[in-house]
Amino acid sequence: MPRLETLEMTIETGKRGLDRAPAYAINGHQLDFNEISGGNGSRETMRLVGSPQSFPHSLTLTGPDDGFWDIEKIEASFHVSDGGPYTVRLGAVTLDRETCLNLWYDRPPQLLDV
Amino acid sequence: MPTWFAKQVDENKFAADPAEGPADTEQSVPGAATHRQRRVIHAPLLASAPAVPAGSGIRIKAQLGSLEKQVVLMIDRPVLTGYSFWCASPADAANWSPLALALFDSGGVASVLIHENNITVTHQDTGQESDDAMARRFGQLVRVHLESGLPTMAECFLATMPSEEQVKEALQGAIDDEINPGIAAHSGEITLTAVKGNTAYIKMGGGCQGCAASSVTLRQGVEQSFRTAVPQLGALLDETDHAAGRNPFFTVLPAGMGT
Repeated sequence: MPRLETLEMTIETGKRGLDRAPAYAINGHQLDFNEISGGNGSRETMRLVGSPQSFPHSLTLTGPDDGFWDIEKIEASFHVSDGGPYTVRLGAVTLDRETCLNLWYDRPPQLLDV
Repeated sequence: MPTWFAKQVDENKFAADPAEGPADTEQSVPGAATHRQRRVIHAPLLASAPAVPAGSGIRIKAQLGSLEKQVVLMIDRPVLTGYSFWCASPADAANWSPLALALFDSGGVASVLIHENNITVTHQDTGQESDDAMARRFGQLVRVHLESGLPTMAECFLATMPSEEQVKEALQGAIDDEINPGIAAHSGEITLTAVKGNTAYIKMGGGCQGCAASSVTLRQGVEQSFRTAVPQLGALLDETDHAAGRNPFFTVLPAGMGT
């Protein structure tokens, strides 16, 4: 399991935005992002940078405290200890006060045309 | 013990101060104390590369395994439908599958699994050929075999195939008599969810769900017991969502860490 040094994310919000700064949790330990730019309102895009500096058994994006948060798209880049950064792209999902979104994905396998 | 962990235990909640940071070398205990337990959900994973336009030739993509010496060849058409085939020796391949035999004959192959559009080749680590070169060699061999019109399986393949009911009964017997008693000490359990043809689908529950060693349990424990119980068993597929649940990794504090 690699050490996750930095997590960079771009989140495109859908119809319903988030009414507070987003947070994430690593191994159940909730953290704030170190950098936030852009907007998290309806149809806005924000860029987030977190520095968990830890080994992620679980990594999740925390849902809203009330109501719903529609996410259209997420692009998450992982800067890990065992090689160069890699990026995963996630599609639409809605979070609420009972849910959090899995963010941890291992490095995608190498694909070749053979 | 890191200060953040002690604080978390003392206050019965996780610290929210990012300056303190999570542990580097110790595992956190999500279920021990938390701000609020939430259900983990998953968003659809989007493809990062555009699809290759369809052509007339056989297109094959190879996925290189990171944990073991394995190449998964993904072919743009079915290779074996309704059943699956696994073998770990050239002798078995000679009996049942001309395609698997061709792979064994090419050298460096430890086992072959053929299932629907995929062929999984586990290879020996000789150190003389890069993973990329090996994947290209296997891919080219499969393409030539399929384009030549040679069969994937021998005609006698289905002749000795047990029925789904027989497969199910034998696998359930292995689970009840051997596997689940063995992993009960880890609070684990295996459930046989379906048998389709000679392909088995299982779920790993209890302590196995989300466990870092679950793949070892599957390969070295469950799979070996299953193949002994049903020699004709093809693919064994784990349907467990190992990242799901509120607390997939721990259910209680490790001994001595709760006080």
